[in-house]
Amino acid sequence: MKKLVLLFTLLLSVAASAQQEGIVHYTRTTYWTKMINQLTFLSKQEKERNAYMWGGRDDWKEYMVLYFNDKSSKYTYSDEKPAESSGYDWRKEQYVVKRDFEKNTMVDIIEMVGKTYIIEDSLGIQNWKIMNDLKDVAGHICMKAMKEDTVKKQKIVAWFAQDIPSNIGPERSYGLPGMILALDINDGTVTIEASRIENKKLTQELDLPKKMKGTKLTETAYEKMLDKFIKEKIKEERNPYWMIRY
Amino acid sequence: MQKTLLTLCMGLLCLLVQAQTPTRVTIKGIIHDTAGAVLPAATVMLLQPKDSALVNFSRSDEKGSFEFKNVKNAPYILKVSYVGYLPYQQTISVSPTDINDLGSLKVKPIAKELIEVVIKAARAPLSIKGDTIEYNAASFRVPPGSTVEDLLRRLPGIEVDGDGNIKAQGKDIKRVTVDGKTFFGDDPKAATKNLGAETLSKIQVYNDKSEQSKLTGVDDGKREKVMNLELKDEFKKGSFGKITLAGGTKERWAARGNYNRFNKKEQFSVIGYGNNINETGVNWEDYGEFKGNNSFNNYDNGDFGFGGGITYYFSDGGGILNNFDGRGFTKNAGAGVNYNYTHQKTKFSSSYFYNQTRLNLDQFTNNQTLLDSLSSFLTTDTTRKVDFRGNHSIGMRIEQMLDSSNTLIAKGNLRFSNSDVTDQQQQRRYPTEGQGLANAVQINNGTTLNSFTLTSAVIYRHRFKKKGRSFAWSGGFNASSSNGNENLNSLTRYLTALDPNDQIRALGQLNDNNNKQSQLKTSALFLEPLSKKFYWETFYNFSSDFREVSKDAFNRLQNDARMDSLSAYYTNQIYYNRLGTSLRYSYSGINISLGMAGLRYDLEGKFANSASDENRSQIKRNFTAWTPNVGVDIEMKNNMYFSTGYSLNVQAPQLNDLQPVVNNNNPYYIITGNPDLSPEKSHQVNAFFYKFDPSTFTNINLSVNYSYYMSRVVYNQTINDSLVTFTRPENISGGSSFGTSLYAGKPIIKTKLTLNLSAGYNRSATPLFINGIRNETNNNSYNGRLGFTVTPNEKLLMTLSGNLNFNTINYSIEERQNQEIWRKGADVSLKWNFAKKFFLESNLNYTSYQNDRFNFNQDIPIFNASIRRLFLKDNKVEMRLAAFDILNKRRSITQNGSQNIITQQTALTLARYFMLSISYNVRGYSDKVKNNGGW
Repeated sequence: MKKLVLLFTLLLSVAASAQQEGIVHYTRTTYWTKMINQLTFLSKQEKERNAYMWGGRDDWKEYMVLYFNDKSSKYTYSDEKPAESSGYDWRKEQYVVKRDFEKNTMVDIIEMVGKTYIIEDSLGIQNWKIMNDLKDVAGHICMKAMKEDTVKKQKIVAWFAQDIPSNIGPERSYGLPGMILALDINDGTVTIEASRIENKKLTQELDLPKKMKGTKLTETAYEKMLDKFIKEKIKEERNPYWMIRY
Repeated sequence: MQKTLLTLCMGLLCLLVQAQTPTRVTIKGIIHDTAGAVLPAATVMLLQPKDSALVNFSRSDEKGSFEFKNVKNAPYILKVSYVGYLPYQQTISVSPTDINDLGSLKVKPIAKELIEVVIKAARAPLSIKGDTIEYNAASFRVPPGSTVEDLLRRLPGIEVDGDGNIKAQGKDIKRVTVDGKTFFGDDPKAATKNLGAETLSKIQVYNDKSEQSKLTGVDDGKREKVMNLELKDEFKKGSFGKITLAGGTKERWAARGNYNRFNKKEQFSVIGYGNNINETGVNWEDYGEFKGNNSFNNYDNGDFGFGGGITYYFSDGGGILNNFDGRGFTKNAGAGVNYNYTHQKTKFSSSYFYNQTRLNLDQFTNNQTLLDSLSSFLTTDTTRKVDFRGNHSIGMRIEQMLDSSNTLIAKGNLRFSNSDVTDQQQQRRYPTEGQGLANAVQINNGTTLNSFTLTSAVIYRHRFKKKGRSFAWSGGFNASSSNGNENLNSLTRYLTALDPNDQIRALGQLNDNNNKQSQLKTSALFLEPLSKKFYWETFYNFSSDFREVSKDAFNRLQNDARMDSLSAYYTNQIYYNRLGTSLRYSYSGINISLGMAGLRYDLEGKFANSASDENRSQIKRNFTAWTPNVGVDIEMKNNMYFSTGYSLNVQAPQLNDLQPVVNNNNPYYIITGNPDLSPEKSHQVNAFFYKFDPSTFTNINLSVNYSYYMSRVVYNQTINDSLVTFTRPENISGGSSFGTSLYAGKPIIKTKLTLNLSAGYNRSATPLFINGIRNETNNNSYNGRLGFTVTPNEKLLMTLSGNLNFNTINYSIEERQNQEIWRKGADVSLKWNFAKKFFLESNLNYTSYQNDRFNFNQDIPIFNASIRRLFLKDNKVEMRLAAFDILNKRRSITQNGSQNIITQQTALTLARYFMLSISYNVRGYSDKVKNNGGW
């Protein structure tokens, strides 16, 4: 009898952990007239002209995946080709965001401006504010939370699932009581939205690439470098977000 | 005593300690729903009261209880979230004890209908703010023209009875407000029955204090359901426009303006211009504002499959952009309207445009024509031409996403054109250099033409359920018809002729031309993914081209008798079929394709002397060819890109060249068509490399291309003793072209000094038969340019550049005729914001032309300068005083050599004038000197 109970508990725990392992598929859409229109150095006329000429057809889609289990997550580009590409596959810059919640560490591999950076640090706390709005994303009812990116000066809205108890999320966001299924950066300039959640056993998907070449930085040093780069480009009146991830 | 004191003290201390609030606290409670059942695994969050910042979170266990252990003892908002329940919120104050037991928290379920709203309304958030439930009006489809009441009937949780009374969650709605204000008195139905559903953005339902308590200020505790209707911002509305008026010396004037109105769905614009300063159309910026989000729709391509196929091109009737070629004087006018509609799955655009240009051209041309190893002749030609062209163009395009896997695009363009050209030429021919005049021709030609062109296409795309599999189909119908009159008059004097009868020849001819063309085409494409990295593509192209040409020539000098030898009627029917396939590898920035297509042309021509002549001779021909194709694209790290490709191109003969008709518009250059032409066939190889460093904007671009002709259409020439050239297109094998170019840019001092350089080399070999002798013309051209952009500060921008072009032309039959043509140039320009709202713009361009064989040397310095000032708030007004070609030197010069002819041409054009202009722009003018846009 005792054995049976033990087996049952084991099965239950397996079932529970199986639920906590899989892949979330996200669609990342950039509306680039909105992006251009946030540049301080452009005149009102230029901004309106951009919006007028490209309005309604300025979206650019990318496909991302988030691998996860109970302890960690890895967010990167999907191998899937967008339906509108008719099979052509363009090179994607390296972008791997790994979070280990057990060891409380992060490793990000980010290629920007022709260089690869490896950001290794412990996980900090993200300052989320919880709102009351509800919305359905990929079949899950999500609550709204907000935070600010002080370096890129972005208002980030996250929608986290009430029924998926996991603190992971896409891009560099995490730390909410439920899995983040959608992000909205600066009033819809970039949106990241889950299209489907696949529960399955993972093998090596969560591993970091074996060879990691790049400049190693701490999170603070990375932010400092980013801040300097953005300020420099704005001063040169160049749009920094054609060169770095928005 | 001491003991009692001690006990007392200790007791006091204890009291003190107890009175002090603990710094750390444990907060716990149990979550129940309103029916009393426990809710396990509910999310429980601790938020900071001032900004709702998340401090901590936890989940309830299977008994519904939760616990935050050892958290800072501070006021919090405790929030509970659970699927199917309204978010629960409670404020917690500082706890006096170590353990703050909140007891049972009762969480209210969301009505089943509301859950459906949340789920059904997929993308549209349903907000629940405290007691308020907010519906997003756009998520509920109602037919156009519906009232708010119709819309309310569709909202879950809301009931509307036959009289229009509204209930929300079973309770009567007592009040309806619009944007928070009471709408026409107290009757809640006044608003819902009268307002249109499409005017709403949101509908909110909440509990409010009763009117009674609002009036008296005493809260009676009663709450009544209120509905608020929030109106849309009436889309995002706006308008902009600008107008410029300018007048100058030598009666120069210009006017242009545009006005646009838009909202989120629609764009409407009008544009107009008129001038006599050689602006034949609008600039790119104005074009973009005119066409709006329809600016980039001209590239819908329905010809599927790799290149190298049929290349009949029908212009879509753009014609709006300035395309002045630098020669002559033009008077121009144009006007148009454009309307675009973009909403959800529909994109619609339509436009009408009329433009006209009257060109007055005076030009002088020197031609040297090589005959054989010993002789050549010179032609001088003085032309005076008046050319009027007018076009009406109507365009329409619709793109409809039928559903997520089907898209349809349909477009059509209609164009009516008329032209009227008078051409006066004086040609003189000299047999060889240094010898006297051989003959002189006076030509007076007049041509009028009316034409009509229709182009239309439909493209349908379908994506299959299987990822990556897709199908596309296109169909097109193009038609044109034109009728024109050519009035040819010429008088030739032969100065070397001995017989007086041969000394003068006159021509007076009237051509009546009627042409019709229709083209029907269709293409299909199927794409099948073989694996993640391999794709298989199959395509089919078909076109049927029918042309009917009728030319009747009459001799005006002989009672308008029909000239049978110069008249013709013929029809041409060309069928084109191509079936091709390619295998593609596409993965992670590497795209390689290998393909092969088989194509076939079937040509059928019928000829007769006139349309009424039933006796027609017939030619039937067909060609088949296999055309391989290779394409490689590689994107590499560090913004490097490389591509290369090979193709075998087969191009059907131009229909013009197939006409077995004599064109004698120029009596010294008689062109006869050749119905026996076969297609041009060539091998083409190209490669391209580029690298870009985004941090410094250093870039380098390198390209190479090579073509070799197996079969080529050239205009072989026979020149008789009277120096009349008879030319006829014929196929010839051999000939090649090679070109390479380099472009690079690099900042030398960041943001202050940038270097640009470019270099190129082009070589071509063109074979040609002249009087039966094969000549090969080798053309080598070299060019280089070096430029600097200097921006010492925000107020000053300078560019300096120098360029060099050197061209050699070698003839295999006569090396002594080899040519060397030079063009050297330097350019300095300046933009300077020298005082507040004052700008100086100036440009000096110096070009020197040199050709020693023609003994031609000319230096042309062009100096322009303008000063402008911005006025009013937002710089809405601009005044500009401009001086064009201050040195009064402008003229157009072209020098080139092709086949056996070397040409050097000078044309007069607009030289020095001064102009004062005033402009008004609703959105204001930019006061910046440097501008990268948003890039």
